[in-house]
Amino acid sequence: MSDSTPKPSSSVKLVLLGEAAVGKSSLVLRFVNNDFQENKEPTIGAAFLTQKCSLPTRTIKFEIWDTAGQERFASLAPMYYRNAQAALVVYDVTKPSSLTKAKHWVAELQRQASPGIVIALVGNKLDLTNDGSGETQADIERDPGTEGDDAGDNQEEQEDSTPGDARKVSTREAKTYAEEEGLLFYETSAKTGVNVADVFTAIANAIPESSLKSGRGAGAGTGQTTLGGGRSADDSRVNLGDRGAATAKEGCAC
Amino acid sequence: MESLTETQWDITISGTGIPQSLLALALSRSGKKVLHVDKNSVYGGPDAALSLQEAEEWVSTVNQETLHLPFENASIFAPTVSESQPRLSSSRSYTLSLSPQLIYSRSQLVPTLVSSKVYRQLEFQAVGSWWVYNAASDGAKSLYKVPSSREDVFADDIISMKSKRTLMRFLRHLQNQLKQEAQEGKGSVVEDEDLAKPFSEYLTSKFQVPPELYDPLSSLSLTQVAPQATAAKYAVPRLQRHLASIGMFGPGFGSVLVKWGGGSEISQVGCRALAVGGGVYVLNSGVESLKHAEQTGENSRIQLQLSSGETVTTKYVVGSSWDLPAQADGPCDYDRVSRSISIVSSSLDGLFPVTAEGGPIPAGAVVVFPSGSPGLTDESPPVYISVHSSETAECPLGQSVLYGSVNIPGQQGQSLIADAVDKLLKSSSGPDAQVLWSLRYTQLGRAVGCDTSPANNVLGNVIRFPPPSLDLAFDDSIIDLVKDAWTIIMGDDASPEHFMKFEDRESYDDEE
Repeated sequence: MSDSTPKPSSSVKLVLLGEAAVGKSSLVLRFVNNDFQENKEPTIGAAFLTQKCSLPTRTIKFEIWDTAGQERFASLAPMYYRNAQAALVVYDVTKPSSLTKAKHWVAELQRQASPGIVIALVGNKLDLTNDGSGETQADIERDPGTEGDDAGDNQEEQEDSTPGDARKVSTREAKTYAEEEGLLFYETSAKTGVNVADVFTAIANAIPESSLKSGRGAGAGTGQTTLGGGRSADDSRVNLGDRGAATAKEGCAC
Repeated sequence: MESLTETQWDITISGTGIPQSLLALALSRSGKKVLHVDKNSVYGGPDAALSLQEAEEWVSTVNQETLHLPFENASIFAPTVSESQPRLSSSRSYTLSLSPQLIYSRSQLVPTLVSSKVYRQLEFQAVGSWWVYNAASDGAKSLYKVPSSREDVFADDIISMKSKRTLMRFLRHLQNQLKQEAQEGKGSVVEDEDLAKPFSEYLTSKFQVPPELYDPLSSLSLTQVAPQATAAKYAVPRLQRHLASIGMFGPGFGSVLVKWGGGSEISQVGCRALAVGGGVYVLNSGVESLKHAEQTGENSRIQLQLSSGETVTTKYVVGSSWDLPAQADGPCDYDRVSRSISIVSSSLDGLFPVTAEGGPIPAGAVVVFPSGSPGLTDESPPVYISVHSSETAECPLGQSVLYGSVNIPGQQGQSLIADAVDKLLKSSSGPDAQVLWSLRYTQLGRAVGCDTSPANNVLGNVIRFPPPSLDLAFDDSIIDLVKDAWTIIMGDDASPEHFMKFEDRESYDDEE
């Protein structure tokens, strides 16, 4: 992922939403650590993980907020997603009720989150369906720049489940809904890794340039890059982990 | 899904204000079974942050249920504006904080957030300049910037040369004491008997500081009473804290605020940390009643009736007076201050200059209307207005949020704040700047300037945090109170050196 030429880097807050046990934490674990744990404990999710995603023109640093199990007693308050620039709404392709819940979250985000939020609808546990074993290579190698029209080149799903196929939510149903609502749409498997990186790359590409510049625009702070090079978007940020920076000037009143 | 009722809880925390949320953070790696409930639908309790719509709901809750939150007499003021005038944006473009306190770099909160690693989830911004409203001069220059560095003092064209010398001498004295304390440890500085005097008298009798500097110097201490009524014992250490904090995390500023809603963000990350550690969260559910079960000693349990209908069993219960059933002996008296949150139609850029070369663009500024300003008598307390720019993400671009506070409750206090807001807009913005919306309320808390240290009320296994401080800076005693509660709960497992000290749960790349 490293690149020798410095590219502009921006932080993007991404929240995960979805019914319990659809694999939200597993998706993140796969994306961040390229790891998967079978029978993961429900509550022990990572609260906050970061991962960089390198695009041709810039680097996006995802600050990923997992629900930490707070969805279980409906204790995820709007504050969790209010300032997010991206959301991953996850359902389980083997569980229709989880898509209903996902739709509820999409509506909630449209009501409460910031207007420019990029929402991706993700049907997870593709490995439990007959589609899970095929076409993975093609999916992984697909050009990350062409988000949105991805599922179009997949083969049309078989609507009737075949033996051994646990799929209960058809690709077409979810995809149609995603198109109506203007969402990115992917089916993934955190277990095998299918499409996981693609989701995040697609989100990174879909974040509008304008929402990456924090705070007051061109008017006030032009050219006042003060916290070291290449941090134009974060002029007002103070780093508490960085005490060394100013010790020489400590207590400058006298 | 495990059932709340069947679980034997070690601790039930009621309310998600800052003390409870920091306790949640402290317990997040303890392995204890913790249930954390809040009767409100949002996190933060008295430290929450609100959209406009939530603020409306909040007002009716505060006015209808008097014991619900430490607030009273809430109202919303929304002037009618004509078509051509600037307007409010949508409800959720705003995150108005009920806890916009400044956090000094020297605050105990900072090492706590750092050692517990949650600082990574927060974004901090600098509070830059302090301004004092100068009653004498009218018009454009009526806001006077309090010098905060040697360069500032020399460049200042308001104070006389003689005053500058006395000011420098006084500041040097404070600095030397700090240096001595840093080298020889706390308590090495001999207690100055002059500290018993009022601050104004102390400044003049000891350092010949002229009266023109009383207000600027008091403003740095954030005292909420007139300089004559402020004890030097109260103001001097706070001034030292101010000076010692400058430069700690970057040039030109000594305090920070938390982006996206101040204290509510701290409460959110504390709760999230415990949720990650396996704590169970339930909103919209408070503790209705509690009763001690039969057996006593090690195995004694408390039964809680939750407002959601469940009954749960727990060993410890922790909360504030507002989150637990009333006590027989009743709460003590509270102090009351007037507060307001105003959205104004100007970015007030002039209040946020970069305060030192290489420093960040401040997102906050403090404007003080000292005693003796028009509308204020010499004895009346000063009005503080903490100004937050849109950088804080509390309001849209081109607007700002003004957090007003004065140590007089009710209508009188509110009109003093409104008057100060008006003057602030007149002196630091164009003629079109106006208040688009404001939320006004009385806040209850521990006495302002009270110098006995607060303590938790512990009765059996029920721990109550004392009323919150009304200080304008983060109240460090919260950390001690949380630590005390944590020590009781952890019992023999409590080793003070492990309090709030955690490893990162994940590895981070710290290059930027």
